[in-house]
Amino acid sequence: MTDLPPIPSGTVPVGTTGDSDPADPTVDPADPAGGPAADPAAGRDCPVCGTASVPGSSFCEACGADLGGPHPRTGGLPPSAWASPADVEADTPPAAGAGSDDAVLSPATPQTAPVGEESPLDVGWTGAVPSERTEPMPDDLTCTACGQGRIVDGYCDHCGTPPPDPRNHFSDAPAAWVGGVCDIGKRHTRNEDAMALSATAAPGSRAVLVVCDGVSMATDSHIASLAAATAARGVLDQPFPKGVGTPDAWAAGAGRALTTAVKEANAAVAATVRDDVPNPPSCTFAAAVVEDGVIVAGNVGDSRVYWLPDAAHDAARQLGRDDSYAQEQMSAGVSRVDAENGKLAHSITRWLGTDAPDDLTPHLTTVRTTPETPGWLMVCSDGLWNYCSEAEALRTLLQDAVGRVGDSPVALAQTLVDFANDQGGRDNITVALARLAGQGSKTSGASRASGETSGSAATAGPEEGDPVHG
Amino acid sequence: MADFTAEVFQNEFLPDGGTDVHAIVRVTSSGASAGAAATAAGAGGPESSAEVILIDTSGSMGRRGVAAAGVAAKAALNEIVDGTLFAVVAGNGTAQIVYPYSHQGALVPMSSHTRGEAIRAVEQLRANGGTAMGTWLTLARRIFETVPHVTKRHAILLTDGVNEGETPASLQAAVQSCIGVFQCDCRGVGDQWRVEEVRGIASALLGTVDLIPAPEEMAAEFESMMRASMARGVANVELRVWVPQGAELLFVKQVSPTLEDLTGRRTPVNPLTGAYPTGAWSDESRDYHVAVRLPARTLGQEQLAARVQISLGSDPVAQALVKAKWSNDDSLTTRIDPAVAAYTGQAELAQVIQEGLAAKAAGQDEVATSKLGRAVHLAAVTGNEEMTTRLRKVVEIDDADTGTVRLKKGASKIDEMSLDTASTKTSRVRR
Repeated sequence: MTDLPPIPSGTVPVGTTGDSDPADPTVDPADPAGGPAADPAAGRDCPVCGTASVPGSSFCEACGADLGGPHPRTGGLPPSAWASPADVEADTPPAAGAGSDDAVLSPATPQTAPVGEESPLDVGWTGAVPSERTEPMPDDLTCTACGQGRIVDGYCDHCGTPPPDPRNHFSDAPAAWVGGVCDIGKRHTRNEDAMALSATAAPGSRAVLVVCDGVSMATDSHIASLAAATAARGVLDQPFPKGVGTPDAWAAGAGRALTTAVKEANAAVAATVRDDVPNPPSCTFAAAVVEDGVIVAGNVGDSRVYWLPDAAHDAARQLGRDDSYAQEQMSAGVSRVDAENGKLAHSITRWLGTDAPDDLTPHLTTVRTTPETPGWLMVCSDGLWNYCSEAEALRTLLQDAVGRVGDSPVALAQTLVDFANDQGGRDNITVALARLAGQGSKTSGASRASGETSGSAATAGPEEGDPVHG
Repeated sequence: MADFTAEVFQNEFLPDGGTDVHAIVRVTSSGASAGAAATAAGAGGPESSAEVILIDTSGSMGRRGVAAAGVAAKAALNEIVDGTLFAVVAGNGTAQIVYPYSHQGALVPMSSHTRGEAIRAVEQLRANGGTAMGTWLTLARRIFETVPHVTKRHAILLTDGVNEGETPASLQAAVQSCIGVFQCDCRGVGDQWRVEEVRGIASALLGTVDLIPAPEEMAAEFESMMRASMARGVANVELRVWVPQGAELLFVKQVSPTLEDLTGRRTPVNPLTGAYPTGAWSDESRDYHVAVRLPARTLGQEQLAARVQISLGSDPVAQALVKAKWSNDDSLTTRIDPAVAAYTGQAELAQVIQEGLAAKAAGQDEVATSKLGRAVHLAAVTGNEEMTTRLRKVVEIDDADTGTVRLKKGASKIDEMSLDTASTKTSRVRR
C-alpha cells in the first residue's frame, strides 16, 4: 500500500525552528525579564537572581553577581557573527547595517560566558532563553505565495501554488561588496535573463559581473543565456596577463579576455541549440571585470554597464553603447526619449547565437577608480533601464535606494528590481552591482602602486571597440 | 490487502482568463477480492459482512412471479459465502422477515444448514397485498443496525410494481434513513414498475438499477448480483477531493461503470476537502469526473486545481493531482482531453435520454422528439452502437447526423424502460 499524507486540513502550520536559538547573542541569558531597569543608586535587586540587595553593595549577597558594573550583555561576539549567510542570500533585504545594532550592545563583561556557551554551572544561568527573533523562521516547505500552506507533493496545500522555479528569481552575493538579482519580472512566463558573478573577498579587489538577456520568442533562450553567462564568467575568472605591470597593460589584457569571453559565450549558446528548432536561441552580453579599482567593461546587444560615482560632480555614465536600433536612431540625432520609445526600440542589431553577426567584438571601456572616487558599478538588462535609462537618473535612483536599504549590493539590486516591477515589470530584470570605495587599498595596498592614479576619477578614455551596426 | 491506484486524464492547459478545469480520475483496485475470500475464510472474522434479500410479494407478482422470485432468491442464497450474515425479507404493503426464524435473531451466519432452511422458507412465499418499499428498506435498516460491527452491508431489492402503498415523501424519508447504513442493488421485473422511482433508491444507496424483462431471468440476475457483492472485499471506500482556497468544486461525478452524480453527497473533511462515499469495492476500476473553477491566473502560472484521493477510513491509499497551467499557446489550450470529452458526451446522452423518455411519458411529443433526436446524434458521433440499437426500438431514425427522428408508434414499454435503465451505463473510455 502506498503511504500518502492525509489531505491536510489547511490549518497554518507553525514553524518551530528559530523560535529558540540558544546561540543568538542578541539575547542576554541573565536578563529574561527585559533589562536592568532598576536604578543602581536605589539598592536594586540583583539582575541575575532577583535577590534584594543592600544599598551600596557591589556584589549580590545571594549569588555574587556584579551589581556595580555595566549590565552584562553578550560575550563579545562581533555583530557579523550573527548575520548568518542565509540572511545574505535571502530574498528580503537583510537588516540595514549591522552597525546600528552595535549601539544596542553594551560592552561585554568578562565573567559572563558567551550565550550558547554558558552552562548550568555558570553563575546566573537561567536556562535557555528564547530568541528575540519571535517570527517563526519559514522553512523550505512554507508556501511563499500565500504564506499559509505547506508544499505537499510539489504544491501548496492551501492555495495550490507550486514553489517558485528557482530560475525565475535568484540572487547571488559572491562577496560582501558584489551582488545581484535576476528576476522574471511581471509579464513574461519565463526568465530568459541570466547572471553570473564572482568576486574575491577583499572589497574592490577582483570581481566579474556578467549579464545576458535571452531573446524572447526564440526557443530555449533561458537555457542559452545562462550557458552564455556562465561560460563568460569562466573565462573572466582567469587571471589576466599583467604585461609590464601597468594598469594599462592589465586593462588591455582584460579587453582581450572580454573578447574571448564573448566568443566562448557564443559557443555556449550554440551548444544549447537543438537540431530541429526553427528559431534558435540568442542573447545579449554585458560584462565588467574589476581588479584593484580598475574596471573594464564590454557589451554586445542592449544590456548595459554603468559607472555611477558617488560624487555629484563626477558624471554618471553608461560604459560602451547599445547595439540597437534605438542607439542607431540616437546616433542619427533622434532624442533618447523618442528613440527608446520608438516602434523598433527593442530591436537589437548584434547578439550571440548561431545566427549572430560575424563581428562580435564587444564595445570595450576602461575606468580607473580610486579610494577618493567611490561609486557603484552596475551591469543590468533592459528590464531595468527601460524604466530609467539615463545614467544620471539611474544614479539618483540607486542613491535613493542606498538611503533606504543601506549599501548591501544584493539588497540594492533587489530594490531596483522591485522598482522595475513596480513600473510594470514588462521584461525580465537583472541588476548586478559592485561597490568600489577604495577599501581594497587596505588589504591589497601593496599592489596598488602609490600615485598609480592621481586626482579624482581618473578615468581613462574609453577604448571603444569598432562600432558595428549589424 | 487491496491496492488502489489513481491516474488522471486531463488537459491542464487553460487559455488566458480560463477558469474551469475538467479531469477524469481513474481509480483501480486490486487484491480487493482476495480480501473478501480471506474475510469469509475467517481472517477478518466470519461475521464482517451481511446480506439482506428483499423480495416483492405484492399481489401483482402473482403465483408465477413469486415462484420465480423464490428461485432467484435461492440462486442468490447459493452465492452467499459461508459465514456471511444474512436475512430474507418479504415485502408488500409491509415487510416481514421470512428468514431467519424469529428465535434466531435478525441475521444468521450462512451455513449449509441455514441455507437449506432459508430456501425452504422462500418456497413458502405467497403473493398478496400492495407495495410500500419504504417499509422494506426500513426493516432492512433495522436488521443491519443489529450488527453495527459489520462494515460491509449489502441488500438486493426486487420489485415489480409502482410504490403505491405509501407517499413518495414516506419512501424518500425511508431511503434517507438508510443512506450510509447499507448499499442496495435494485432490480425491477416486468414493465409495471417505475424506473425513476427505483433508480432513486439504488442511486442513494450506492447500488445499481436494472430491468429484468421476464420472471424466468431473475435467477441468473440474482446470482450475478450476489456474486459481485461477494467479490467486494473492501468496504466504505471514500473519494476525497481537495480544492485550493478560493476555488469552487463544480461537480464530482462517477462516470464509469455507471453515471452517478456525487456532488450532493459531500461530507466536509476540512474546509478545503470533501469526502464522497463510494461503497464497497471488488477488483475493479471506476472513473470519476471532477470539475473545478479557479480564479484565473496570469499566463505562465501553474497551480494544483484538485487533489483526488481514495481513502479507507481516514487513510488515503492513492491519489491523483489535477493541475492547471495558463498558456497563450492555442494548440495546447484548445485541446479537450479525449476521456473528458467522451464522458461529457455520455453524461449528456444519459440526460437527454431520460428527459426525452420523461417528456414522451408526459405526452410532450415535440420535446421528446427533440431530446431523443439529440440522443441519437450523440450515440452516433460517439460510436455507441449499443445505445443506438436501444434508441432504434423507441424512435425511427431519419438522419442520425442531424438527429432527425420520429417517435415510434407502438414502441413497447419494456423497450423504453430498458433504454432508460441502460442510459446511465457508460462505455469505458480507453486510454
